[in-house]
Amino acid sequence: MLAKSITCGLEGVNGFLVEVEAYISNGMMGFDIVGLPSAAVKESRDRVRAALLNSGLEFPFGKVTVNLAPADVRKEGTSYELAVAVALIAAKGSVQLQGLESTMLLGELSLQGRLMPVRGALAMAITAVENGVKQLILPGVNAKEVACIEGIDVIPAETLAQVCEHLSGQSTLTAQPVIGYNQLMHAANLSSDLKDVKGQSLARSALEVAAAGGHNLLMIGVPGSGKTMLARCLPGILPPLTYEESLETTLIHSASGELAVDSSLLTQRPFRAPHHNVSVPAMIGGGAKAKPGEVSLAHNGVLFLDELPEFQRMTLEALRQPLEDGAVNVTRVNGQNRYMSRCMLIAGMNPCPCGNFGSKRKNCTCTSGEIKRYLARISGPLLDRIDMQVEMDAVTVEEIETSLPQEDSTTVRQRVIAARERQLNRYQGSHIYCNAQLDQQTLDRYCLMDPSAKELLLQAVHRFGLSMRSYARIRKVALTIADLAGSDVVRREHVARAIQFRNVQGQYWK
Amino acid sequence: MELSFEQRCLLWLSTAEIPAKRVASLTARYGSAEEIWRRYGEISITSAHKNKAILDEYHNPEAIDRLVERLEKSHVHLLFQSDDRYPLLLNEIQDPPYLLYYSGNLSCLQMPCIAVVGTRTPSEYGRHMARVLGRDLAQAGVCVVSGLARGIDIAAHQGVLDADGTTVGILGSGINVPYPSEHAPTMRKIAGGKGLILSEFPLDATPTTYHFPYRNRIISGLCVATVFVEGRIKSGGMHTVSSALDQGREVFAVPGQTGYLGAEGPLAIMREGARLITGAADILEDLAIVPRKQQAASQSMTANALSPVQKQIAELLRIEPMSIDDLSVRSGLNTELLISETGLMEIMGLIRREAGNRFVVNL
Repeated sequence: MLAKSITCGLEGVNGFLVEVEAYISNGMMGFDIVGLPSAAVKESRDRVRAALLNSGLEFPFGKVTVNLAPADVRKEGTSYELAVAVALIAAKGSVQLQGLESTMLLGELSLQGRLMPVRGALAMAITAVENGVKQLILPGVNAKEVACIEGIDVIPAETLAQVCEHLSGQSTLTAQPVIGYNQLMHAANLSSDLKDVKGQSLARSALEVAAAGGHNLLMIGVPGSGKTMLARCLPGILPPLTYEESLETTLIHSASGELAVDSSLLTQRPFRAPHHNVSVPAMIGGGAKAKPGEVSLAHNGVLFLDELPEFQRMTLEALRQPLEDGAVNVTRVNGQNRYMSRCMLIAGMNPCPCGNFGSKRKNCTCTSGEIKRYLARISGPLLDRIDMQVEMDAVTVEEIETSLPQEDSTTVRQRVIAARERQLNRYQGSHIYCNAQLDQQTLDRYCLMDPSAKELLLQAVHRFGLSMRSYARIRKVALTIADLAGSDVVRREHVARAIQFRNVQGQYWK
Repeated sequence: MELSFEQRCLLWLSTAEIPAKRVASLTARYGSAEEIWRRYGEISITSAHKNKAILDEYHNPEAIDRLVERLEKSHVHLLFQSDDRYPLLLNEIQDPPYLLYYSGNLSCLQMPCIAVVGTRTPSEYGRHMARVLGRDLAQAGVCVVSGLARGIDIAAHQGVLDADGTTVGILGSGINVPYPSEHAPTMRKIAGGKGLILSEFPLDATPTTYHFPYRNRIISGLCVATVFVEGRIKSGGMHTVSSALDQGREVFAVPGQTGYLGAEGPLAIMREGARLITGAADILEDLAIVPRKQQAASQSMTANALSPVQKQIAELLRIEPMSIDDLSVRSGLNTELLISETGLMEIMGLIRREAGNRFVVNL
């Protein structure tokens, strides 16, 4: 009267195999789940009982013990319920089930016996493949999410009864075909396109350079100058998400329950735009279960912080480390997880509290003291992590009407991909993958400059009184511009363009 | 600080902010400040209760001693009207202050002084003009006087500091109450360097509205000429200009755009006959001041140093400030080229970028 089934638990973004053992002994009627179950798992007893009965199956008579092994890891969530129900059927023995030792079962049960979706299906499917499991039965809603996974039969099911019939061989459910990542990519369409952005050629150029070099970008502009719209275009001009990147990112989204119902692997780079009242845990990751934060959800994509000075200082300061390291360790009582956080930071802000400083049409009503206080909310160390700044003024209606057709995102993306490839070739064998990651030493090694370009840069340092740090930032950006132009050395014109994206120190930060 | 009894009595009157005119009429009547101190009980000096209380409080030698000690501690010095170093021009005005508090270098008042004044909320153009005027006047060896207020004033001071020149800042508050507070670092820089910070008001006087007209008469009074950069018809700048005219001093105005409120003041005084100036050179020529040293080789756009594209950009920017988009529309050049060319010209110092990413020709 002992039976076993296999399911999967979730820790951070990684799955771990869980064996469900069911044992029915003589004695007082009872149903217990052991193996460090959380409250939600304990509750599942009632759901499992009702689901079994409503599916036309019997609930075993006697004392029922279910053990979730490994017993020393805390089990959260409701994804174990299907496996518990199946183990009970097998233990009762009234229906003969086959292949349980090589079948992973995922799903929450409704009282009716229907399978409800689970969180983190992708991570669990990957765990199944890694552990040599042959088939994966899971709720139909989750099927698309794991459609790209090869090496396992993914069998979507709707009800407990179906699963039971399938495992007993009475009728077979069909495995869903593997949908290649390329096919998914094909279906992806862009939400915002650069061709719809009128005017703003300097900002467009800044966005392209930022995309090509992975540079963080700060856009300063009056309300309505199109900061958000431009930022939304960024995912569309970054190189397409590779399969590996997509897996990494989807894992995080899947584990945090952010994935939309019925969605497949992510094929577009994520664009996260948290509101400025976001808390530190929501930004970095945290909560009782150490869930991933916005910076991780934006992994391989774009983190857009509009109204930068309105963010709490603590939140911004906490961003520094994840931006630098590309990963963040979240430690809580109930878990410690490491989440990837390699994203591009795009920030938008008004030039002053009233927003009109520098506007062509409206006058700014702020005093210099007010502006200073407003700007002081952003700390220097955070600004140091932002390589590029660009100022924008609102585009007038006439300008929109008369503007020439603009390049679309696809064209810009081709250039960005080429520039990124140059970088990958250059940095082969090092841990660097884009120009934004260069530091002082690596910059000296990789950034080859024309003598006249060097001279021009020194002239600029003198003219604008640039600090050592902004000097390094301009060199990085100039290198990216050279990459975009397909040049191996940084020339004068590249430096001249890079200068345009320097910190607007004279006006804003002294 | 060794003070004569007469000087201590004047300090006493100043502490209660008794106006220069009142003190002048009282001393004319009673002969000296000493006499006022002695006959304090029988003379009505002021009708304001607050000031009477202050006079009462300090009408004793120990209180004055303590005050002098405090002044010394704050490194604030006194300049009496009777002093040899008292600026001659200021002495000529109708109601010269009998006592000035200062901090810094008094010798700058020996230099030719020119005031640069204007609104607290200038346009980008006004701010730039003030800064350039400050810089160029300082380079010509002129001491630039202004009021340390936001906007035009501080831009003028800043321009002087850019050129490492001499500037005098006149406060509408006590020297211990820097106003506006965000200019405190600049004030320290002025007083600690070649410049001078001056005030007619006692150490801890707050910046009260009625102080500023008093302050304005000192600004114009110290100077041979006053330059009005930007301001409305009813503004502090206009007040300074009218006191300059009352004092028989020269007045200059920086032309602004017709219809722009901030340009109303300068345009109005030009209509009345004030001299229009486009730069420091006009002022110097008019006042027959010979620049102390030859100005550094001007970085004006020499035709042969520019490429044809740069010439075209420069020509367009002379019309009005333009963004890359505007330039692209007007010139038909592609934006990539314009971005790098304007960057180059900015490094060369030919043009500069204003807020909102518009480029303007450097003067």
